[in-house]
Amino acid sequence: MRYAWLGCLLLCRSLVAAPQDADVNVNTRYTVESVILSGKGWTTNLRSETTDKISLGLRHELVALIGQKLNPAGLDSLAANLKKELSAREVTHRVVRGESPEEVRVEFEIKPAKVSADLNLDQFVYDSKQGWSGSGAAGLTVGQHSFSLGLVSDGDWLDERYAGFRARYEDKRLLSDRLSFRFQVESYHDQWNTSTIAALVAHPELTSEAYRARQNFQPSITITLAKPLTLEVGARVERFENEDTAAGTVASDALITTLRYHRRLEDSDSQQDLDADCSLHAATRALGSDFVYSMRTAGIRYQFRHGKHVVTDNAWTGMILGRAPLSDRFVMGNTYYLRGWNKYEIDPLGGNRAVHNSVEYRYGPLQVFYDAGAIWDAGQQATPRQSLGFGLRESAFSLAVAFPVRSGHVEPIFMMGILP
Amino acid sequence: MSEPSRGSQISRRSWLLAGLATPLFRARAADSLAVNFDGDNLHISSPDLHFLTGKPLSRLKDGGTVVYFGRLTLFRDPFLTPFRRTDTRFVVSYDIWGEDKFSVTMPEATPRTALLPAPAAEAWCIENLAINASGLPPDRPFWLLLDLRTVPRKDLSQVLGDSGINIKNFFIEFFSRQPGTDDPQWTRPAGPLRLADLVRTPGRGKIG
Repeated sequence: MRYAWLGCLLLCRSLVAAPQDADVNVNTRYTVESVILSGKGWTTNLRSETTDKISLGLRHELVALIGQKLNPAGLDSLAANLKKELSAREVTHRVVRGESPEEVRVEFEIKPAKVSADLNLDQFVYDSKQGWSGSGAAGLTVGQHSFSLGLVSDGDWLDERYAGFRARYEDKRLLSDRLSFRFQVESYHDQWNTSTIAALVAHPELTSEAYRARQNFQPSITITLAKPLTLEVGARVERFENEDTAAGTVASDALITTLRYHRRLEDSDSQQDLDADCSLHAATRALGSDFVYSMRTAGIRYQFRHGKHVVTDNAWTGMILGRAPLSDRFVMGNTYYLRGWNKYEIDPLGGNRAVHNSVEYRYGPLQVFYDAGAIWDAGQQATPRQSLGFGLRESAFSLAVAFPVRSGHVEPIFMMGILP
Repeated sequence: MSEPSRGSQISRRSWLLAGLATPLFRARAADSLAVNFDGDNLHISSPDLHFLTGKPLSRLKDGGTVVYFGRLTLFRDPFLTPFRRTDTRFVVSYDIWGEDKFSVTMPEATPRTALLPAPAAEAWCIENLAINASGLPPDRPFWLLLDLRTVPRKDLSQVLGDSGINIKNFFIEFFSRQPGTDDPQWTRPAGPLRLADLVRTPGRGKIG
């Protein structure tokens, strides 16, 4: 028994005496003054600045180092997490003297991957009324240049089910950091719901005829006016192949401009995000377009996070003047706007006026939402509609049931999948 | 029957193998070890051995921790059959706010730490490598081989804060693998030597 106790004492002594990195690195006695992240052409001092290049969780972990005693072993795991989140080739870290004695600065240097390839599932959603929709892409990034090629089959977003491919090239740094260039090509085949076909027959003056395929070529340049305000300017050249092949194709060529603003405010335990955008698409005969119209949209999104609580308000409105093709008309009653309503019931041809607001509250993975909006055509009476829903949302995965708020028979819509 | 080599019981084949093996040690004759005997243990020194250099030094100056594994092996023939070996680890860090000083720790049950300039820190590590000489006849030749390596960063968590059976297993596995390109290795041979010929220094107790 005496030997057993002796053994226990020796074991405890060896456990207590076993030194950790915190005990053996002489710099653990110094306090972290600041944490600096730097990449190609950018530097962020997390003591005084914020960055949306990394996730909130990782940013909090890095900011938490400031004011604490240095833990060199912890820096390795943070560098590994940065490398993973930023898909970097290498993330190195070093500790240098701070401005005050006995304080140190931790610097992470992020070396971007020279060539990286990835596969993304952008959207994969099931709607009990519209069935499956999905899109995914394979991407290749070489320095500042990125290429992607993706497949799409979507019966959710528009009043048509379109399937085809989408290819994109992007130069993230065109001559300077303030300019980027993007060229997107899309080619889709279309299928139509009987409600849409019937509505087209009844109101042929509102929009284009049903088409069997469409192609879109869209070059654009994004200019950083003043961070975080950007302006996108470009063109959209779209061709529609009529159901009747003898009728040939019709064109919709438009100039596009979009102004975007993103602002993030955060303190130690909460974060606020504000996104705003407004856009103008103008198609004229001068550009060779068969459709003459202008489309204006504006949206504002505010999100407040505090611990597990997330409150989001998303307001959006749009107006089309003139006759736009079916693919450019506004649609509600999908998995984004007026969730719970059937789009073919409320707007089988879409509308040229729309207004929508969505309020969502999440606690951890639990979510409830309330959508309100209206979609109509100029000269018609707008009919306000509302819907309620609840479900689960974890990262991009969502599982929800939404109910239209109306008298009489209510049929809920079940939605599930990966949403952007 | 082969005739034993003059003055020892080592065969000519062993001497031949030793001759072939010696170039494998990257050290030149001038880089060999100086050996002292305190009556119980063999102690080594090598003033020209500088391992606080290159990539490990860069890691240290960046505030990181570098662990060196040292293995001292005793042979009774020319580097063929190990007779006894001892493994020791040194944890080194560079004092960011210090006057160009390195902290060196031997993480034993009772850790020993020193804060020294680079040459003194290197000497401290080498001096703390010692091997028990019991069972070695005073008039019989023996050989010593020092093998010093840095532990890769990915393995640091395994070797820091562990002093039990796991670290012994890690030592065995570590020295059986080839060092990576980022993990330099230093080897120094010594021998043939005889205890009777060595300078006696004051004893420091028995080492396993």
